[in-house]
Amino acid sequence: MSKQINVALIGNPNTGKTSVFNALTGLNQKVGNYPGITVEKKEGICKLPRGVKAHIIDLPGTYSLNASSLDENVVIELLLNKTDKDYPDVAVVVSDVENLKRNLLLFTQIKDLKIPTILVINMADRMEYKGISLNLDYLETQLKTKIALISTRKNKGIDKLKELIATHKELSIEPCLDASTIDKAYFDNLRKAFPNQLLYKLWLVITQDVNFGKTDRKTFEAVEDFKTKSKTDLKRLQQKETIKRYQFINETLKLGQTIDLKSAKDLRIKLDRILTHKVWGYLIFGIILLTIFQAIYDWSSIPMDFIDSSFASLSEWTKSTLPDGAFTNLLAEGIISGLGGIVIFIPQIAFLFLFISILEESGYMSRVVFLMDRIMRRFGLSGKSVVPLISGTACAIPAIMATRNIESWKERLITILVTPFTTCSARLPVYLIIIALVIPEGRILGLSYQALTLMLLYLIGFGAAVGSAWILNKILKIKSKSFFVVEMPNYKLPLFKNVALTVLEKTKAFVFGAGKIILAISIVLWFLASYGPGDDFNNAETIVTEQYASENLSEEELNQKIESHKLEHSFIGIAGHAIEPAIRPLGYDWKIGIAIVSSFAAREVFVGTLATIYSVGSDEEETIKNRMAGEINPILGGPLFNFASGISLLLFYAFAMQCMSTLAIVKKETNSWKWPMYQLVIMSGFAYIVALVAYQLLI
Amino acid sequence: MNTIIQNILVFAALGLALLFLVRKFIWTPKKKSAKACGGDDGCGCH
Repeated sequence: MSKQINVALIGNPNTGKTSVFNALTGLNQKVGNYPGITVEKKEGICKLPRGVKAHIIDLPGTYSLNASSLDENVVIELLLNKTDKDYPDVAVVVSDVENLKRNLLLFTQIKDLKIPTILVINMADRMEYKGISLNLDYLETQLKTKIALISTRKNKGIDKLKELIATHKELSIEPCLDASTIDKAYFDNLRKAFPNQLLYKLWLVITQDVNFGKTDRKTFEAVEDFKTKSKTDLKRLQQKETIKRYQFINETLKLGQTIDLKSAKDLRIKLDRILTHKVWGYLIFGIILLTIFQAIYDWSSIPMDFIDSSFASLSEWTKSTLPDGAFTNLLAEGIISGLGGIVIFIPQIAFLFLFISILEESGYMSRVVFLMDRIMRRFGLSGKSVVPLISGTACAIPAIMATRNIESWKERLITILVTPFTTCSARLPVYLIIIALVIPEGRILGLSYQALTLMLLYLIGFGAAVGSAWILNKILKIKSKSFFVVEMPNYKLPLFKNVALTVLEKTKAFVFGAGKIILAISIVLWFLASYGPGDDFNNAETIVTEQYASENLSEEELNQKIESHKLEHSFIGIAGHAIEPAIRPLGYDWKIGIAIVSSFAAREVFVGTLATIYSVGSDEEETIKNRMAGEINPILGGPLFNFASGISLLLFYAFAMQCMSTLAIVKKETNSWKWPMYQLVIMSGFAYIVALVAYQLLI
Repeated sequence: MNTIIQNILVFAALGLALLFLVRKFIWTPKKKSAKACGGDDGCGCH
């Protein structure tokens, strides 16, 4: 039987840690969450020489062991807890050859924890390009470790790294430097008070800003023989420690690393000058965004149509092949349609993450974050809020998950709360059908009114997000450190393997995460729409047949009338009638009410529900459009979907929190029902008021 | 017979869907969290 060891991959962000993880594990990897929190946990298996099997954990990127965010906290918690099942037998610190000095700070801290540590120097292929040469023997002696010089891009050095991991028992656990010399008296006291414990671990626990587990500084204050220092004094000591570490690193690199600036050929400065320029930077970013969205919609349409028609055929096949009955209907109309409703968004999600991944891998995303920070900060957001706001145009769920790398809790919370305002792809089917019904087809300056309305709705979404962020920034009294540190990595060609794995992971997370919820809700909604109480529902066939006996309807027309009658008296129909008094002032009837209620599961359900309510056949979009256009307002007469009610509906969907999955993910990310409930009440309340005012003004 | 079986299957699917939603959003069974570091609880971290 082969022996399994735990390997922790640790490193600063942008050092190619994930590339090393991918190179070691290939497809033998899975993504989950750390228990109780929402930081992503990536782990995989790697077969090593000598029959050793390694369980590899890709820990979140961190600059040091002084935690400032939830992600960084995870790293420290694991390294301090020997009883954790993932506690590493060996730590692999991944560094970038161009930023060795900064990367070594974390390395020296981990060495002080007496964990066997290997130093990986990645991106070796850029050494010649940058005029860098290394004296590896000297570095290994000074840093008391073994070094693997690798290039994940060229797939070089991975075998040596595997060999080093397999022989980790030969590694020295001696620290690089003695950090206790920064305040000898204090550390002596600490040693006396806790004689059996590792000094540097104690020091880390005492100085953390973020509490982890049950540990905080009070634990130490409770011990009589030991008096800890004030927070300010501890901070001062931390700074002294960092300076001492950098002094050691500078000394080491003086002989261990040579940089010949004359032989360096660097395009980076020139590119940065353009891409972060206060005019060209924004212009280029705007053009890139436009290109991405155009590509997402253009490229997605073919696979989406294919998925749509495949699920329609599957549904039809199920109905015609299986015996007639309720369960067959549930399969055909509920489960298969529900699954189709999830799968149809895969192309858009995959393309969006493909582009985001390319932008991140190439190093451009960090420039965007830097560029946008200037604007976003005025509204209480961070430069890092840009990524969630952009991702929100596809789906709010991954977008809210993308807020995890925002360090300040206040900024992260505001971003989570305002992201659902951005126009997600689920709003599109609603927008498209209403715009087609109520906006004329004319053009102005070559641009169609309908396209301009759609663009305006996107702008309204972004405007609402930024405006509400500004208000939240003023009213939320949350004490939170606000600082902005972003690393500008070098520009590089994205690695296909990394991009492909990111797209695969994110798409899987969408399908299996939100997908299960949407599927369960689809089943419940189908049930509520297919069953009802009382005689009106149970005797629908007799009632409708008698009602239309004199009208000579064809069998198909009569069946449609029966289905409509049943739906009206189903549980969901009753609910629609119950809310009708509340939605009538907005210009809607009970049928729109049902569509609004059912689309709480997911906005795109609106069109599907109306399709069922208006009893349409297979040629769904065209037929439903005609049917909707022919609907008469029961009170005022004239078309139900007129300019006033159409604009009212568009505005309602632009602002309302009509997505149960988003509420669920907000609950998960904020660990409280308070914030999603605020979102639901405030966003939907605001949507109602805006829709009401619009209808009353336009009617 | 077919109708009865189909109805049983429908209610079973509905029950499972409701159970899933309740467990997901309303009542989540508490998992025993990984032992946290700190204090003198003998976690072995110091």
